[in-house]
Amino acid sequence: MKQWKKESGGKAIGFLLSDVPEEMIHAAGFFPYAIVGGSTNLEEANAHLQSWACSNSRSALARALEGELDFLDGLIIPHTCDTMRMLLDLWEHLRPLPYMENFRLPRQVNRASAGQYLVGELERIKKGLEIYRGSPIEKGELQESIKLYNQNRLLLRRLTELHNHSPNLINSRQLYTVINAAMIMPREEVNRLLKLALEDLEQKPINESSAQYLPLLMSGTLLEPFEVLDYLEEFGGTVIADDFQNGYRYIEADVSTATDPLKALADRQLKRIPSAVFDIEQNPRRYFLTGLAKEKKAVGAIFLHLTFCEPENFDSYDNLKAMQDEGLPAIRIETQFGGAGLGQIRTRIHAFMEMVGGESR
Amino acid sequence: MSTKNIFKTAALMKEMMKNYHESGQKAKKEGRPVAWVTAVFPVELIYAAGLFPYYPENFGAVAAAKKIAHELSAAAEGKGYASDLCGYARCGIGDAFSEEHPVGRILEPDLLFCCNTQCGSLPKWFEVASRFYDAPYFLLDSPRVGLETDRLCIEYFIEQLKEMIKFIEKQTGQPFDYDRLTEVLSLSNEACRLWNEILDSAALKPAPFGFFDACFHMAPIVTLRGTREAVDYYRALKKEIDERIEKKITAIPKERHKIYFDHIPCWPKLRWFSELFASKGALVVASQYTHSWAYSFDLERPLESLAENYTHEFVNRCFDYRVRRKISFMKKYNVDGFVLFSNRSCKPSAFGLYAKSKLIREKTGRPGAVFEADMSDLRLFSEDQVLAKLEPFFEQLN
Ligand code: SF4
Ligand code: SF4
Repeated sequence: MKQWKKESGGKAIGFLLSDVPEEMIHAAGFFPYAIVGGSTNLEEANAHLQSWACSNSRSALARALEGELDFLDGLIIPHTCDTMRMLLDLWEHLRPLPYMENFRLPRQVNRASAGQYLVGELERIKKGLEIYRGSPIEKGELQESIKLYNQNRLLLRRLTELHNHSPNLINSRQLYTVINAAMIMPREEVNRLLKLALEDLEQKPINESSAQYLPLLMSGTLLEPFEVLDYLEEFGGTVIADDFQNGYRYIEADVSTATDPLKALADRQLKRIPSAVFDIEQNPRRYFLTGLAKEKKAVGAIFLHLTFCEPENFDSYDNLKAMQDEGLPAIRIETQFGGAGLGQIRTRIHAFMEMVGGESR
Repeated sequence: MSTKNIFKTAALMKEMMKNYHESGQKAKKEGRPVAWVTAVFPVELIYAAGLFPYYPENFGAVAAAKKIAHELSAAAEGKGYASDLCGYARCGIGDAFSEEHPVGRILEPDLLFCCNTQCGSLPKWFEVASRFYDAPYFLLDSPRVGLETDRLCIEYFIEQLKEMIKFIEKQTGQPFDYDRLTEVLSLSNEACRLWNEILDSAALKPAPFGFFDACFHMAPIVTLRGTREAVDYYRALKKEIDERIEKKITAIPKERHKIYFDHIPCWPKLRWFSELFASKGALVVASQYTHSWAYSFDLERPLESLAENYTHEFVNRCFDYRVRRKISFMKKYNVDGFVLFSNRSCKPSAFGLYAKSKLIREKTGRPGAVFEADMSDLRLFSEDQVLAKLEPFFEQLN
């Protein structure tokens, strides 16, 4: 990142997950940089964030306070939950940046007012970026960025397909590592590398031994820690579908290039797969997840529950119940950024995999 | 609230709240829809539509005040709802799953309305309840507002008020009565005006009324705002306070200091706190919480003005706005120090308090303390820990 800045002289705008329209940051000529995880030195962050804040917010703030994010010129924090809503305030106060914004997503997505408002909010974000850059963002620029990101998502989805068919060619850990790396790399470069890799990988014959892996659905706010994926593989499993903000949710929805870009960005947002951070009557996410599990022939579901993640917790009971009602075994595992409790997580995954009939390898 | 010094109107309020709960039961029996609402919600529309508004947060507060929130909560926790969720939500969900109802059953909703200016916990809790009770749910969404007036947010809210009115019309089969809304709004204005005059009396030195009294007397402004009863009640209370001023009856025996407090009280420990502060000659005079109900509606522009008032409520505002507002209360009531409650239940009020506390100390030069506890759950309350923060604070006051 620092090297990119030196070479290009460009500016970097950080953002927290999820659902921030990176296309807009990119169209303004800035580098959109996702802040996920990291930092083991939590001391200063702990002085400001009480012990019952989730480790996602804590580790992000800790990175900023440690100076690890000093290369950022700006930051967009989406309003996904109360923790995020308060984090922006704290960040602004403790480490002010020249450009800081709160992306105020509508919490309801089903009524006409949500769409109208969201276009207005995107317009507001766009104006803010324009002021910071000192000139308007042209429609063509935004469309170009949308195309670039659509292509990126398409390539990452192709990679996901490949993983689903041949976990031997690209395993779960590799897949999610690539998705997460894409979030902090220049997208032009990511696309170039992905194309090369896919051309190579898609030539390879499907490996029969892939069938030995038991397909599992994984769900949660954020995929963390990645060791979970190693344990899964160790006990004979592979991820066949997920809805993580740093997983499938990040790549599933494209932006139409046929309509006005702001309208298209708003439409994409409102049509995204359901998530705990939006308040939708009847929690359609539980049926989305059971549907997905059935479609992909998953043998069970593992819910990763970031401790203190409030939106996720409110849905958790229903989600587990919906899986069980469908006869799909499901567990909830509490997780945290920073690698705490790995031993216990491994034990639980081991027990669960034995239950669904997996074999250690 | 000194125990010997109970307001005459307290009996009146008990009577009134009893009636309120009875009319809820009656509404249920008669098939008049019971509508769940949140505290900072344009309940004026609900009253105008002839629905019965019920406040599940209040149910949580009552369970908390009776010191049994943790018992109800256990039923929710048994289903996987974590002990770190808002205590009110845990009480409500706990009651739904529970066989036993130590505070009586929560009044089951026919419709649910939620406004998220306060927090993101309420909408998630109401969603859960709407599934559990199989009742339609309507969310009034308010984006966070910064320092300035936010037209985008107001316009969005107005659109949703219109959507909500259509939703109500569909549910009740009755056209919405705008004339009735104007009446309700004017009653709301009057109750808010009286309530704030009452709160202002805490600025007198010594004062006849303080924050702990306000916590006791605020039920009508929260639940009955928009009714004649609330107006009558606050008139009576105002009159009693004026008499007290004349007779020189004060809120605490020897008022030496005035304190600002944020923001919600610790319900199961209300008495303990009020006696602790009184024993130090410290009167808590203001908090954002009790001062929230300060609406002023323009009867000529009902929907616009509902949107302006409810979206721009302090709970929905940014860090700087809240700090400024706290400081302005501190100045208005001429306080000697401040105490901030880092409430485990309430992420949106607790996160950022340490930074706020530091800033307020710098800007006002007044001593302050932050203590950690929970507004409802005694398992998360330690007298020793609270005293460890408050004792040094009281010393600094002297
Ligand atoms: S959605 Fe959950 S994980 Fe994300 S910031 Fe909020 S509480 Fe933390
Ligand atoms: S206490 Fe806080 S989290 Fe709980 S309902 Fe009230 S505002 Fe929401």
